[in-house]
Amino acid sequence: MAAPEVHHLFHHPIADHSFSADRQTLAIARDTQVELYGRVGNAFKLKDELKGHDKLVTSVDIAPNTGRIVTCSQDRNALVWEPSPTGYKPTLVLLRISRAATFVRWSPSEAKFAVGSGDRVIAICYFEEENDWWVSKHLKKPIRSTITSVAWHPNSVLLAAGSTDAHARVFSAFIKGTDQRPEPSPWGERLPFNTVCGEFLNNSAGWVHSVAFSPSGDALAFAAHDSSITVVYPSAPEQPPKAVISINTQLLPFMSLFWNGETEIIAAGYDCEAFRFQGGEQGWQLAGTLEKAKAGGRPGLGDEDREESALNMFKQMDLKGKVSKDDTMLKTVHQNTVTMLRPFEESGGRVTKFSSSGVDGRVVIWHT
Amino acid sequence: MSIIQQHTQATLSDAWRTINIDALTEDSSVNFDVSTLHPPLPEISEADARAINGQVRQLLRGGDAEGALRGCLEMPVYAGSEAAKETHLHTVIEVLQSIKASEMTPMLQRIYGQPGGSECLDVLMKYLYKGMGATSASSDGSGRTTPARAMTPQATGFSQVSQRPMAANESTGSAMSVLLSWHEKVVEVAGLGCIGRVMTDFRRV
Repeated sequence: MAAPEVHHLFHHPIADHSFSADRQTLAIARDTQVELYGRVGNAFKLKDELKGHDKLVTSVDIAPNTGRIVTCSQDRNALVWEPSPTGYKPTLVLLRISRAATFVRWSPSEAKFAVGSGDRVIAICYFEEENDWWVSKHLKKPIRSTITSVAWHPNSVLLAAGSTDAHARVFSAFIKGTDQRPEPSPWGERLPFNTVCGEFLNNSAGWVHSVAFSPSGDALAFAAHDSSITVVYPSAPEQPPKAVISINTQLLPFMSLFWNGETEIIAAGYDCEAFRFQGGEQGWQLAGTLEKAKAGGRPGLGDEDREESALNMFKQMDLKGKVSKDDTMLKTVHQNTVTMLRPFEESGGRVTKFSSSGVDGRVVIWHT
Repeated sequence: MSIIQQHTQATLSDAWRTINIDALTEDSSVNFDVSTLHPPLPEISEADARAINGQVRQLLRGGDAEGALRGCLEMPVYAGSEAAKETHLHTVIEVLQSIKASEMTPMLQRIYGQPGGSECLDVLMKYLYKGMGATSASSDGSGRTTPARAMTPQATGFSQVSQRPMAANESTGSAMSVLLSWHEKVVEVAGLGCIGRVMTDFRRV
């Protein structure tokens, strides 16, 4: 299998990253601005900076079809950046929140987006034609704490949200006039705004870091701070779920996860590498890391072990008075926590490549 | 504190940063009973804890150390009086002290391999930390002294004179070394995730 493509952009944490639909542009949330990188050959070069927030930008998302970029920040604002021949034009969105905005994602329909916040609300924002203005509606109940992540159902109506009150919830974010009435699903049939379609927590109830719907939308996975991932299979509206499967791992907690088909989940976090989970309604298990599976798949690291010659060893002893190798590098590609995973390339319902970004300022494109 | 109208010495300082704004927000977590977010846990009384202690001791006498360990880890006292929690801590530590160092790792691996084993080791880790907290609190003289003494249920010469600082140090020291060696073995089997779970878990022992 091919080695991962590593882009070390800078020495600064990356809060979030997003690729454009053609995968030629990469948006990076860095400090108080968003940097746009363009692909030049095998590398990504800085080509534009979006400055508009005055506090840390927490999340960025590029809509694949319209090319609009939405960003949100600890300054409690969200901006929609409209592409134009002269560059990106920002539009302020009225979120009406009094704490930091933490996470933003476009719905698959791209007509609206959801902003999670520290104000115990999720703002669902949509464009109001008559006022020429982005407005927001709040999902409020029964959220008790900061929203750490949101994920859209493929029907653009249901929204999953993970929170620091240890719950992963599924809401209806139906906006009259913007959305089509959704097909009935195991999550619910009639779905007025702010219907709570499910509320889940695992045994030890750690903070939820990441949530994701399966490609069909009929299962929900979430990663929590107790180093576990939990998969929920709903049965029917208002009924307890068919199965709730929790996998406690020996690893450090996962920060981000996504589904690769209906039977595989890939998650990464504080262990600085991605792990594969496999299973279904009957049960899930950890299938191993994505790094060790590839022979020599660690650029600049994997080969060093073999090249450690006797000559080298004595040279080291002579120079430094010790035999030990340079152990300031982790054995993983990412050198610090992975904070975000996103599918990069899909074919036939499977993710063939995905991208990760982390605290070490790297963006890595992996083969699954 | 009222709304600040003009710049005074007080407003120029950063004292306003220490205002607990959560207390002023009506539906914040401070003004809300967060325990209602979790399913209620079964209450275990002190008598129940003593009954478990009795059963566990019987298993120990019968030579079934693994059964005794599993038994007390499957019935953790999450909700209950301080006395019940204290009793159960003693039960767990009694079992831990009776298991030989060479048996620790194979036993932990067997427990981890069984269904619900990961949960059991998480509970064990919680008691290890609680035990360490109890021993250190008693050795610096600020906490209650009972847990440290109870760590050495075998009547040694020292336990009668535990008021003497030397003796207290020695008994807590030996209890601590048992807990530390168990801690090392549990991390080997259940990984760092186990420590993370102890810290995140809302169910305290």
